[in-house]
Amino acid sequence: MFKGIVIGQYYPVDSPIHALDPRTKVSLMVAFIILLFLAGNAMSMVLMGIFSVLTILLSRVPLKLMVRTFRAVLYILILTMALHIFTTPGTRAFQLGPLVGTYEGIRQGMFLSIRLIILIGTTSLLTLTTSPIALTDGLESLLSPLQRIGVPAHELAMMMTIALRFIPTLMEEADKIMKAQMARGADFESGNVFQRAKSLVPLLVPLFVSAFRRADELAMAMESRCYRGSEKRTRLVQLRMGLGDYVAMAVVCALGVAVIWLRRV
Amino acid sequence: MSWNAKKIAEAAAMVALSALLHVIKIYHLPQGGSVTAGSMVPILFLSIRRGPALGAVAGAAFGMIQYFLDPFFVHPVQLLLDYPMAMASLGLAGFFKKRPIGGVTVALVARFLCHFVSGVVFFASYAPKGSNVLAYSAVYNASYILPELVISAIIVSVLAGKVKLD
Repeated sequence: MFKGIVIGQYYPVDSPIHALDPRTKVSLMVAFIILLFLAGNAMSMVLMGIFSVLTILLSRVPLKLMVRTFRAVLYILILTMALHIFTTPGTRAFQLGPLVGTYEGIRQGMFLSIRLIILIGTTSLLTLTTSPIALTDGLESLLSPLQRIGVPAHELAMMMTIALRFIPTLMEEADKIMKAQMARGADFESGNVFQRAKSLVPLLVPLFVSAFRRADELAMAMESRCYRGSEKRTRLVQLRMGLGDYVAMAVVCALGVAVIWLRRV
Repeated sequence: MSWNAKKIAEAAAMVALSALLHVIKIYHLPQGGSVTAGSMVPILFLSIRRGPALGAVAGAAFGMIQYFLDPFFVHPVQLLLDYPMAMASLGLAGFFKKRPIGGVTVALVARFLCHFVSGVVFFASYAPKGSNVLAYSAVYNASYILPELVISAIIVSVLAGKVKLD
């Protein structure tokens, strides 16, 4: 059941986008999304599109992977297009039986679809070019100012880091337990939803017990190393901004100025 | 709430277990949703065992990991509601220590509401004005939350009998 399951999307190659600091990538992604929703006319959308394509090419992520990302939203894209073309009032462009397509509808549908494609293409780069652990580190650093108002940024990130480390271990364990239960005649793959839920119990109970035991051991190991939360904790690998990060920020700033200027025109 | 290594480690183990169960799909819905092998059970169980606050933080961690592993991003509000918020709402189960099934139901209703609002926001920004956004979002989200609810309730009730809650 777990054969061939790849956890995560990270595609490790050496590229300028991969080399960026995760904090830069997360904050620039947020900035990019805001700009994308600000971009109101065709000209600024073209600009966003060019930026998006250049970033994707620069990241050296194979197009095959990008296409896979789009497959999930193909249905939404087609639906958006169709709904807009046939329901927007305006000049008649063509007719399909009782449905009348309008030029305004085509325009509006195209605009929204292109925005969605740019949005998905660019945001998928974040998880494709950053390992989950690096993302977690970046998130912790970005959320840490919120610690003052009670957001447990460090604990949240610690939890995610440990969980990411635990996933492969638990997966191996689940595989072992499944095989052991199947050898005893357990059936995980047939029956309706209810029967399947019940058949999961002989897998889940040992899995829970083992997960809690591992957590116990880990907590003991952490305590014996004097783990005291985020207070005065140092890191082996520190996040550092480099030249590339500043260049990326400057490029997105320039893009922002251009989009806002184009709104006025 | 006060933190210690034990709470963090236990929550992390449950987040990992949730992420693992999330990968096992026991039923695929025709419109693209899928029913997982009780992927919310570890978070629900943690909430019942250790209280709603830890459950909510662990839920948020699970939501974020879910995004890292399998991102679906079409609108900023949708991102927040579908991942960290929807999963953090599972912490609500922690208020019902004595009645696990009731807690599971409340938590899943809260999760449903998050996805429902997210769906409305998303469809409202892409679908043309006047389409029936509310009904579509409600039907789509209920179609996988309901089976999940049944599965989670079955498993939690069995587990609550087998593993000590305190």
